[in-house]
Amino acid sequence: MNAPILRVDDLSVEFATREGAVRAVRNVGLEVFAGRTLALLGESGSGKSVTAQAIMGLLDTPPASITSGSIMFEGTDLVTAVERVRRQVNGEGVAMVFQDALSALNPVYTVGHQISELLRVRRKMSRSAARARAVELMERVRIPAAARRVDDYPHQFSGGMRQRIMIALAVALNPRVLIADEPTTALDVTVQAQIMELLTELQRENGMGMVLITHDLGVVAEVADDVTVMYAGRIVERGSVEELFEHAAHPYTRGLLRSMPRTDREDDELWAIPGAPPSPVLTPKGCAFHPRCDIAIDLCRSEQPGLEVIAAGRTSACHLRAEVFDGRA
Amino acid sequence: MSAMMPPDTGPAGAVAVDEPAASTPPSAMKSLRRFLAKPSGALSISMLLVFLVTGLLGPLLVDRPGGLGSEILRSPSVAHWFGTDDLGQDVFAQVVWGTRVSLTVAVAASAIAIVIGTALGLLGAYSRRADAWVTTVTDLMLSLPLLPLMIMVTALVGPSVTTLTFVIGLFSWPEVTRLIRSNGLVVVSMPYIDGARALGATGWRIVTREVLPAVVPLIVVSVLLTAARAVISEAGLSFLGLGDPDSWSWGRIILNAQRSGVISTAWWQTLFPSLAILLLVLSATVAGVRFNDSRDPRLKDR
Repeated sequence: MNAPILRVDDLSVEFATREGAVRAVRNVGLEVFAGRTLALLGESGSGKSVTAQAIMGLLDTPPASITSGSIMFEGTDLVTAVERVRRQVNGEGVAMVFQDALSALNPVYTVGHQISELLRVRRKMSRSAARARAVELMERVRIPAAARRVDDYPHQFSGGMRQRIMIALAVALNPRVLIADEPTTALDVTVQAQIMELLTELQRENGMGMVLITHDLGVVAEVADDVTVMYAGRIVERGSVEELFEHAAHPYTRGLLRSMPRTDREDDELWAIPGAPPSPVLTPKGCAFHPRCDIAIDLCRSEQPGLEVIAAGRTSACHLRAEVFDGRA
Repeated sequence: MSAMMPPDTGPAGAVAVDEPAASTPPSAMKSLRRFLAKPSGALSISMLLVFLVTGLLGPLLVDRPGGLGSEILRSPSVAHWFGTDDLGQDVFAQVVWGTRVSLTVAVAASAIAIVIGTALGLLGAYSRRADAWVTTVTDLMLSLPLLPLMIMVTALVGPSVTTLTFVIGLFSWPEVTRLIRSNGLVVVSMPYIDGARALGATGWRIVTREVLPAVVPLIVVSVLLTAARAVISEAGLSFLGLGDPDSWSWGRIILNAQRSGVISTAWWQTLFPSLAILLLVLSATVAGVRFNDSRDPRLKDR
């Protein structure tokens, strides 16, 4: 495998709140390769969206601040980059698809205006060329009758169509990396499948690296190449999708996989990991997952396990990683 | 992925049917019609138009009041619709000529206030660092006793229409700033602002292309309300003798009545300019409120 396009190292993000500093992301590292999809898996509040916002430079500082780490994109550290470089990378280097397309598109402009305005500013295209390209992009994301609908406003599109427009905007400048933050959560199941299909297709075509932020294990299983599991702001496990689904090396991942509804097993009821994710202000001492863990030992209550390699391409942050991996615990 | 994708091209029109019927985008004509749908809208806008026409054309048709007339302190009649003052000048002519000054001051002062107010309001809404300054200065300005300050500044600079305009304009922006800032804050926190930033838009672009269009309706409302307040301030300052002694204004007519001691007897000399002030302020305010309501989708029968 060649060098990653985007490499996040030891990233930590804190939010200043009245209750004190909240560490939303702790020492997170990611590598995004061209043509590959990295799934960032985790519950709400696990820090996956904050990581994405840090990569895009969307954190409001203050209250947020990046306390450590680097985000390297093609030799530039986006954490320390000046505003002008940062803006240049956004859209052309790294682009993002948001969860809720209706609120992520400006309601006062037509969709065609929003796409062509981007091309006119960033690609210095003429008005007519930008408009023609906007129609092309809308056709590319399979908006029916794109030439007619280019002058419609975002509210005149259905949810799935709106998400397609959002994707057209995101890929308009041929970004090297596309971050999709729960792109299908707000859509119904059949549309979800179409949108994921479209994203993987665009990825194949442009050789983009993709970061897919999701809590949907089904989506991960279908489109991801690599998986990074986050819990309470930390990475708890990393691996390729086949291996990770085959045998997890962290009790949290194992719990997630077990809580997936399955039709081939009729015997038991839906299973859920007991308890709730910890409050980001008061993370438990030791391993953040130990209050919910079924195999926790004394060491887990006192000491934070490090993220260590357990097999080729597999890392886990668990004191009992070997036992979990082998199925002994 | 088992779900079927719609065919790439082909009978695209057929696929589009499941889309909600495309409603036409809001046009200027449509919103104007909606604005006029209620009597308050139609009445206030016609009243404003009457004042505008009077201010523009009135002085061409009515002689400039001046000199000494033989008929002094006459009550309203066919010859003198609004009566005459103690120098025998026609009050109707004074009111007509005063309209021009009152409107000029109102429009220019409100323009100054809107430009400063909107710029600062948007700055405060967008930039957290600037916000502390903008808010502090705005609150400070709002807590100042405005009338004594306006009197002092006008007296120091020397009364003229220009002085009045600038004094009123420079003291009226804080209300606009506060309104634009508070609504701008809502817009700035919208996901589409993050969307624009994710695509690499500059701060200037976001403020002018994304936030400004969203607060334009509010700017229209505050133009009207600020202009209404400017009319009152102008009349007040003129009545206190800080108006331009060389040009007629509604405040000056009332001041003359007071100075010549006929304020209790010659009712027409105070009633008509006061009525003009009242009608202009009222129609501008009602038009502002009506504009706001006509754009509010929550009000069912708009």
